[in-house]
Amino acid sequence: MSINLLHRHVLEDHISGFETDPNPNHLSVIRRPVIFSVLAHAGQETAVAEALWNAEDVAPRFCGPSEWLAVSRTVGAETVAGMLSAIAGASVVDQSDGRALMEISGPSVRKILGRCVAVDLHPEVFEQGHSAAMLCCHATANVARTGADTFEIIVPRSFAGSVFEELMEMGREHGLTRGFAD
Amino acid sequence: MASLITCPHCGTRPKEEFSIRGAAAPKRPSPTAKDEAWHRYVYVRDNPKGRILEYWHHVAGCRRFLVVERDNLTHEVFGVTDAAELERAGADE
Repeated sequence: MSINLLHRHVLEDHISGFETDPNPNHLSVIRRPVIFSVLAHAGQETAVAEALWNAEDVAPRFCGPSEWLAVSRTVGAETVAGMLSAIAGASVVDQSDGRALMEISGPSVRKILGRCVAVDLHPEVFEQGHSAAMLCCHATANVARTGADTFEIIVPRSFAGSVFEELMEMGREHGLTRGFAD
Repeated sequence: MASLITCPHCGTRPKEEFSIRGAAAPKRPSPTAKDEAWHRYVYVRDNPKGRILEYWHHVAGCRRFLVVERDNLTHEVFGVTDAAELERAGADE
């Protein structure tokens, strides 16, 4: 039997062995997320940002000035591509195969992430819905707060293994479990 | 992580996220400038003590070039501006 590499997740080798029931602190890996990078043309920054934030089924993530990631877990790549290409003054590239999406949640999530990033994650500073590009476990990642105790981490595919291992190491004290989301 | 740089786009970040790209004060001569001007620009650099302007590249964040004004003796940071904005402000004058 041949393995179809297209449908093999990069963290498949890291998440093997016993399936455990998720603890309160849990790291879930989303198997096939849709991630697009969006770049605004000069002068179109505010219009593109507004369109992105109003778009349905797509969560925008801030990377830098006039640069965002559009993330979706519910709709397919074609739908997102169609929706994003309708935005005037924006260039859109599908990054789904080049990025890995992880979600870390639980009561100790700030303590765990505090060892991985050098950014203040207090809810008054890093509010819900806030996202930024930062160094996470020595790799460039995009970290977003999606809930009070939930963070989403997007890392380049080739860094996913090392970031995943380090996150698990940092969360061991808090009983961090891991698994694929679906 | 001692040196904190407040990026205008990303907020306060440690120096590990940045790559220092050298002094920002010397102005690049025009391509047709005399060899002496280019020689001065490339090789004859001051080595000031105190307040300096430097290019910092926010590699792990917004990937923008920033101009950081800081004291290389006390490590005090006085201001951080996006290099493009600074360029634009200079062109307007």
